[in-house]
Amino acid sequence: MAAWAERLAGVRGVLLDISGVLYDSGAGGGAAIAGSVEAVARLKRSPLKVRFCTNESQKSRRELVGLLQRLGFNISEGEVTAPAPATCQILKERGLRPHLLVHDGVRSEFDDIDVSNPNCVVIADAGESFSYKNMNRAFQVLMELENPVLISLGKGRYYKETSGLMLDVGAYMKALEYACGIEAEVVGKPSPEFFKSALQAIGVEAHQAVMIGDDIVGDVGGAQKCGMRALQVRTGKFRPSDEHHPEVKADGYVDNLAEAVDLLLQHMDK
Amino acid sequence: MVRFVTNTTKESKQDLLERLKKLEFDISEDEIFTSLTAARNLVEQKQVRPMLLIDDRALPDFTGVQTGDPNAVVIGLAPEHFHYQLLNQAFRLLLDGAPLIAIHKARYYKRKDGLALGPGPFVTALEYATDTKAIVVGKPEKTFFLEALRDTGCAPEEAVMIGDDCRDDVGGAQNTGMLGILVKTGKYRAADEEKINPPPYLTCESFPHAVDHILQNLL
Repeated sequence: MAAWAERLAGVRGVLLDISGVLYDSGAGGGAAIAGSVEAVARLKRSPLKVRFCTNESQKSRRELVGLLQRLGFNISEGEVTAPAPATCQILKERGLRPHLLVHDGVRSEFDDIDVSNPNCVVIADAGESFSYKNMNRAFQVLMELENPVLISLGKGRYYKETSGLMLDVGAYMKALEYACGIEAEVVGKPSPEFFKSALQAIGVEAHQAVMIGDDIVGDVGGAQKCGMRALQVRTGKFRPSDEHHPEVKADGYVDNLAEAVDLLLQHMDK
Repeated sequence: MVRFVTNTTKESKQDLLERLKKLEFDISEDEIFTSLTAARNLVEQKQVRPMLLIDDRALPDFTGVQTGDPNAVVIGLAPEHFHYQLLNQAFRLLLDGAPLIAIHKARYYKRKDGLALGPGPFVTALEYATDTKAIVVGKPEKTFFLEALRDTGCAPEEAVMIGDDCRDDVGGAQNTGMLGILVKTGKYRAADEEKINPPPYLTCESFPHAVDHILQNLL
């Protein structure tokens, strides 16, 4: 492997995944990953531009940021690129009124969306709200539509909570796709538009940016497809087999965010 | 030799037998082969301990099967089990390498209040999350028909399937090398016979007509 100096040359901005990189969600708000609070602080003190790029869709940005701040993180709502706001924009642009298959925690993100007489279904990480009844209602809505539109906030297979791995929105998205014979539109990683909007927010071009994430396909693969470099952390949902993924090869594998930041600060152009 | 085959996942063989006997059918238990039987056979073959995501009424068909400390998942039509917590438990077992056995992958079924999700979507969810494929044991899988014929001593080519579901009954049977007769009762809808290739060996009005044809032409 080429030396880190070469691999990290010319980096001006960093996109940080949240779940599995900063913290693991779970009971009592979850737990910060060792070294991550300080790592974010160091990044922010450096000349590098920082943007949080998350697929979190169970909580509103406000709730998520509040939780992270209580864990000690230096983060504010305006620094976060999340799928719910991006979805709202799309809904408004296309005159879509959604039936929401979402966790109550994220509902406030859809406060100024018309949800009467739905002509589409929006599915997010509903967690415990993925009851058979709720899934069935969303299914019935789609089956009644002449032109069934299903918008999914991310398509992750699973994520890590403090208690263990948890089924993510992608699995339930596939369930509805199969049941209705349709294909969902994905808002959030790994969709290129989502990465681009995060880069735009910090005014950094893809080739000058590094994505740091725990999802080898959604974070790392997705970022690389947009022309970014990407580092895979061994925290969060990471499993050893991810280091030998048949399709995706990260630009580097690091134990955690702290190690990633060490390397970035060491090798960035002075 | 006759076998009665069905994809039901919410009736044990006993229940099915009693129901049919009440209707005055002359049938014995060992002439019935259901997708639950197929699942149980597979579990025994693989010597695994299944987490059973099946209707409670189907449990009698798994009497004697070890289910403690599961290392396999068997999934049928069981809406009451398809909530997040239980599916997540199944997901974690599968991620650890447990096989996923699906009774069938029906997309939906009809209920009084409209269409309702079948097991298929949830099997798909688990397959996607774990990047594995389920072993499907019900119709129209070949293994179902081969298993049903196993103790009859008949080869598929010597057997006829009579059913009302063109794809699952007739298509599945013909794919196995059997002859398929589609009857225009039950869930049959006009022009169903045009939906499979090759078309059914015969499409006829009802079960008695099918039997007449067999007795007159195929023996």
